[in-house]
Amino acid sequence: MENKKLHSVVGLFSTPDSIIHAAEKTIEKGYKHYDINTPYPVHGMDSAMKLKPSTMGYFALAFGLTGTAVALSFMYWVFNIAYPLNIGGKPNFPLPALIPITFELTVLFAAIGTVLSLLFVFFKMPDNSNPLHDTDYIKHCTSDMFGLCIEAEDKLFSEAEVKDFLAGLGATNIESIYYPKINTLPIFTKNFIIFLLCSAIVVSGAVYFVTNKLMFMTPYNWMLNQDRINAQAPSDFFKDGFGMRDAVEGTVPRDFIPEEFKASPDSAGTFLINPLEMTDAVLAKGEAKFKTFCSPCHGNYAKGDSRLRGLFPNPPTLHSKKVRNWPDGRIYHVITFGQNVMPSYAKQLSRDERWAVINYVRSLQRAFNPKEEDFNESK
Amino acid sequence: MQTDYTVETSVVEGNPSFKQIDELIGAPLETLPNRNFLIAISITASMLLTGAIALGFSLYYGIGMWGNNNPVGWGFDIVNFVFWVGIGHAGTLISAILFLFRQKWRTGIARFAEGMTIFAVMTAGLFPALHTGRPWLDHYLIPHPNDHSLWVNFTSPLLWDVFAVSTYFIVSAIFWYVGLIPDFANLRDRTKNKIKKIVYTITSFGWRGSNRHWQNYEMVYLILAGFATPLVLSVHTIVSFDFAVSIIPGWHTTIFPPYFVAGAVFSGFAMVQNCLILLRKVFHYEHIITLDTLEKMNKIIIVTGSMVGYAYAMEFFIAWYSGNSAEAFTFVNRAFGDYAWAYWIMVSCNVIFPQLFWIKKLRRSIPVMLVIGILVNVGMWFERFVITVTSLSRDFLPSSWAYYKPTLVDGGLLIGSFGLFFTLLLIFTKTMPVVSIAEIKAVLPGAQPTHHKAESNNGK
Amino acid sequence: MNQNNHDYVKKPLPPKFGTYGLGFAALGLILSILALVADPVRASFDSLIVFVFLIGMGMCSLFLIGLEYLTGAVWSVPFRRIAEYLVPLVFIAPIFAIPVFFNFSHVFQWANPEYLTLHKTVMAKTAFLNPQFFYIRITAIIVLVGLFSIVIIRNSAKQDNNSDQNLTKKNIRLSAGLMPIFGLGITLIGIDWIMSLEPLWFSTIFGVYYFAGSLLTAFAAITLIAIKLKSFGALPSWITKDHFYNLGAFLFAFINFWAYIAFSQFMLIWYANLPEETFWFLSRTQGSWLYISIGIIFIKFIIPYAGLLSQPSKSNINRLKYVGWWIIFAQFFDLYWLIMPTFSKSGAVFSWTELGFPLLGLGLVMILFKYSYTKRNLIPIGDPKLKRAMDFHL
Repeated sequence: MENKKLHSVVGLFSTPDSIIHAAEKTIEKGYKHYDINTPYPVHGMDSAMKLKPSTMGYFALAFGLTGTAVALSFMYWVFNIAYPLNIGGKPNFPLPALIPITFELTVLFAAIGTVLSLLFVFFKMPDNSNPLHDTDYIKHCTSDMFGLCIEAEDKLFSEAEVKDFLAGLGATNIESIYYPKINTLPIFTKNFIIFLLCSAIVVSGAVYFVTNKLMFMTPYNWMLNQDRINAQAPSDFFKDGFGMRDAVEGTVPRDFIPEEFKASPDSAGTFLINPLEMTDAVLAKGEAKFKTFCSPCHGNYAKGDSRLRGLFPNPPTLHSKKVRNWPDGRIYHVITFGQNVMPSYAKQLSRDERWAVINYVRSLQRAFNPKEEDFNESK
Repeated sequence: MQTDYTVETSVVEGNPSFKQIDELIGAPLETLPNRNFLIAISITASMLLTGAIALGFSLYYGIGMWGNNNPVGWGFDIVNFVFWVGIGHAGTLISAILFLFRQKWRTGIARFAEGMTIFAVMTAGLFPALHTGRPWLDHYLIPHPNDHSLWVNFTSPLLWDVFAVSTYFIVSAIFWYVGLIPDFANLRDRTKNKIKKIVYTITSFGWRGSNRHWQNYEMVYLILAGFATPLVLSVHTIVSFDFAVSIIPGWHTTIFPPYFVAGAVFSGFAMVQNCLILLRKVFHYEHIITLDTLEKMNKIIIVTGSMVGYAYAMEFFIAWYSGNSAEAFTFVNRAFGDYAWAYWIMVSCNVIFPQLFWIKKLRRSIPVMLVIGILVNVGMWFERFVITVTSLSRDFLPSSWAYYKPTLVDGGLLIGSFGLFFTLLLIFTKTMPVVSIAEIKAVLPGAQPTHHKAESNNGK
Repeated sequence: MNQNNHDYVKKPLPPKFGTYGLGFAALGLILSILALVADPVRASFDSLIVFVFLIGMGMCSLFLIGLEYLTGAVWSVPFRRIAEYLVPLVFIAPIFAIPVFFNFSHVFQWANPEYLTLHKTVMAKTAFLNPQFFYIRITAIIVLVGLFSIVIIRNSAKQDNNSDQNLTKKNIRLSAGLMPIFGLGITLIGIDWIMSLEPLWFSTIFGVYYFAGSLLTAFAAITLIAIKLKSFGALPSWITKDHFYNLGAFLFAFINFWAYIAFSQFMLIWYANLPEETFWFLSRTQGSWLYISIGIIFIKFIIPYAGLLSQPSKSNINRLKYVGWWIIFAQFFDLYWLIMPTFSKSGAVFSWTELGFPLLGLGLVMILFKYSYTKRNLIPIGDPKLKRAMDFHL
C-alpha cells in the first residue's frame, strides 16, 4: 500500500456556506492544484475559487458562424454552380427562402460543436481512470456532500499539512487518495480481434443484402415492375400494334403557322427566301440536323449513298446540277412536303432548322463542286 | 389562503434532504416494474402493435391505403405530424425558455418534459417519412452526392422541415443528454449492480462534479438553452410555412408562424400536464411536482389558448377585410360547411373550455385540469385537421372538390403513434431519472449559500 | 414583514431636466406649427408617426407592469415606477392625432369618397373603415386602457404608504383583466392607424408586428431612463449589474421577437408572391425607399442584435445606453417606413418638417416624467416583493 503514488488529500463538508468558505481559504493559502466537487453547481463558487469567466461562448459563436457560412455557401454552390435551376421564378440565390435552413444549420453546428468541445476537449472526457472514482469521497460528492480535493501535484503540498488544513476548516472524512495500479489496455487480445472481425462481416453482409437484394424484393421493386409501354416497343393494346402514339388527327401545335405553296414547288422556289445567313452557328445546327434526319438516306455527304444498306430505296445525289441550281425555296418545299418516297420532315424539323439544313447542303455542294476563287482564297 | 408576496415560495415542498431526493428519484430505476406498470405498457404496446400493422399495410400496398384523395393530398399523415411536433414544443419551452427566464418551478418537470419532446419528435418524424410513399428512398431528402447529380430543393418548405425537425431532434437530444450526465454520475456512485455500474460509468463520461467543470457546464447549458429557444420557435414556424407559403386560401396568412408556435406550446403543455399528473401520483412526486407547478402550467395553457383564439379571430376578420372571395369562402366553409363539426370541436376545446382556468379553484383541481388537458389536445388535433383538410377539400377549382374520409389504416397509424409515444415514455420512466437530481437539489431550501449575511440575519 | 428595509432616499431631478423638457417642447411646437402651415398633409403624416409611437410605448409600458404582476417577477420591481411614469402617454399621445383629425381624408384614403368609387374592394370594407366607427374604437381603447392604468397605478402608489399586500393581489387581478383588452387594443391601433393607410393591403400578423415594435420601444425607454437615473444617483445602490443584465437580456429577446415577426410577414408575402399583397412591399422599393427598406434590416435588427449578443454586453451600462437610444431611433425609422410611403410614393422625403413632432414628443415625455417623478416615489417602497428584488442575483 505504501509504495503507491499519492494523488490527493480530500475532505468533505456538509453545507454550501462551509464549502464556499473552504474554497476562499484554499485560495488564500496559495494552493493552485485543487478542486471542489459538488453534487450540483453552488452559486458564488466561481467567484470564491476566482475562476476566469467561461470561454464557451466564443466557441459557440465560432461554431455557429461556421454553420452559417457552410449553409449559405453550400446552397449557393448547388443553385448556381453544381446544377443551376430556376425554381418558382425566384432568383437563383433566393436569400429569404434560404434563411430557414441557414438558421437551422447555424444552431446545429453551434450545439454539436459546443457540446463536443466541452465534453471531449475541455473536460477531456471520458475520464473514468481518475483516482477519485469509486472512492467514498466521490460517492458523497455526487450525492449529498461538498468535497475539497487538494492534489499532490501542488508545489505547497505536504500530506500532513493539508490534512491539518482541512481539519481546521471543519472537514470530515479526510483521507488520502492514491493512484490505482495501471493495467495495459486489452485492445490486442484474441477476443477483441475476433469481435472486430465478426462485426465487420456482419456489417458488410448486411449492407450487401440491403443494397443488392432487399431493394429488389416485393414491395420495394414495385416501381420497377410497372405496367407501362417502353418507347419503340410494340403493344397489342392498340389496333395498329404500335406502342407509341401519333398525335390525334388534326392536332395543331400552339405556334402553328400553315405552310404555304403546298402543291406548287416552283412557286415555293420563286417566293420563299432563306432567312438565315451562312454563319458557323447556322452551319453547325444544319450539320447536326442533317446528320440526324437526312444522312440515313442521303448519305453523310449527300452523295445519295444511303447508310441503310439497301433497306430503303436510295435517293439520287444532291450534287447533281439540277439540285445545285434549285433555289433554296425549292429544297425547302421538298423537306416540308416530301417528294416521291421521301416523307415530309415538317414535324421533325422546325422552319429555322430546315433553312439551316439547306445552308449545310449548300456548303456540301460547294465543297464537292468548288469554284475557282475558293482555291485562291485558301492560299 | 392569503399569499405572502414577500417570500419566495419554494418549488419543492417538505424540505427533503439530498439523500431522500436520491432515493426518491432513483427508486423507479432500482425496483422491478410492478403490476400497474405492466398493465400500462401492455396497453400502449397493443396500441403500438395496431400502428405496426397499419404501417405494414401502408408499406406493402403503398399509401393508397390511406384516405387521401385528389384535392386532399394531405390527410392524417400531415395532421399527425404537426400534432406531434407541437407536443414536443412544450418540453423545450419548459427546459430552455423557462430556464432563460429563471423560472425555478421548471426544475421538477424539465427532464420529463424534455423526454416527451424527444419521443414526440420521433413519433412526428415517422409521418413525413411515410408520406413520401417510399420511405426507403428518404435518404434523398438529405443532400448528398449521388449518381443522378440530384440536389434537394432548398427553397421548399418541406425540405426546411427535414432540416428543422432533424436539427430539433438532435439539439433536444444533446440538451437532454448534457442534463443527464451529472445524474448518471450520481446513479453510478449509488448503484450496487455490476452491469448498471458499467452502463452508468460509460454514460456519465467520468463526471466528478468538479466546480471547474460545473462552471463551463452551466455556461454551455445556458448557451444551449439560448440556441434551443429560437430553434423551438423556428421549428413550428417552419411547419407553419409548409402551409403559409402556398396560395391555398386558409393557408396563406401571415399570422401562421406565431399562431402555430402558440398552438404547439398550448397542446404540448396540456400533454405534459396530463402526463405529470399521472407521474406524480404513481411515483409519489407530489412534493417535487407540486400543485403550484401544475397551476402555473395551467396559466400558460390559458395564455397560449387565448393567443390561439386571437389568431382564429384575426384570420376570420382579415378573411373578410381582405376582400378576397376565395379566402372569405374558405372561412365560412370551415364554420358552416362539410367539416363544421370538426371546426366547432376545435373552437370549443381550444378557446372556450380552457377559459375555465380563469377560476382559481378549477385551475388547482386535478380532475378538472386532467379533463381540460385532454380536451385541449383533442381540440388541437382537430385544429390541424381543420387547417389541412378543409382548405384542400375546397380549393380554387370547384369541379375537383372532394370530401376526405380517413380509412382504417389512417386510424391505425394514429393509434399507433400514441402507442409509440407512450411506450417510449413508460420505458423512459423506468430507465432514467425523470426528475433532474442535480437541478432539484440546487433549488432545495438551504441548498445555496447565503449571499448577504447581514441582510439575511435581519430578514429571517 | 410590513416594513421593507430599503435605503431609498428620493433625489430631485437636476433642475436642467425640466428646462430642457420645456425647451424641446416649445421648439417642437413651433416647428410643428410651421410644418403644419407649410404642408398640412405631410405634417399630419409626421404627427401620425409620433402618435403611434407614443401610444404604443405607453400601452406597452402598462403591459409590462401587468406582466410583472402576473408572472410574479421580482427583479423588475425597482424599475416598475419608470414604466408607471410612461403609462400616461396613453392620454398625451392623442394630442398628436389632432392634425390627423383635421386632414382625415387626406391621410386615410378610405375616408375619401372619390377613392372609394374607384376601389370596390375598399368600398366593401366601409362597415369597418368608416370615420365614426374609427373614432369610437380609438376612444374606447384609450378610455378602457386608461381606466385600468389609473386604477393599477393608484393601487401601486397607495402601497407606498401602507404596504398592503392586498393591493398587489388586486393589481394581479386587474392585470389579468387588462391583458385581453390590451391585446385587442394594440391590434386595432396597428390595423386602424397604420395598416389601413393602404386600405387594399392586409396582413394578419400586423397587430403583432406593431405590438413587437412598441414593446421593444417601451423596454428600451425604461432601460434608458433607468440608466439616466442611475447616472445622477437617483437609483438606490442595491440595484446592481444583475438587474441591468435582465433589462439587457429582455431587450435582446424583444429585438429577436420583432425580427421574427417582421421576417415572418415579409417571407410569406415574398414567397407566395400574390399581387394583392406584394404591392405593399413593392411600393417600399420605389426610389430611395429601397434603401430605407434595406436599412430596416440593419437598423432594427442586425446592429442592436450584434450590440447585445455577448453576455457581458447585456449588463454593460454604456452599451445598454447606446442600444436603448438606437432602438428608439429604430422604432421611428420603422414607423417612418410603415407610414410615409403612403404620403410620398416616389421616394423617401426628409427635412426639418419631420423634426418638429418628435421633438415635441420628447419634450412632452420629459415634462410628464418630471411631473410624475416629483409626485411619486421612484421606488415602490411598499411593494411586498421589494425585499426580494433587493436580494436579486443571477
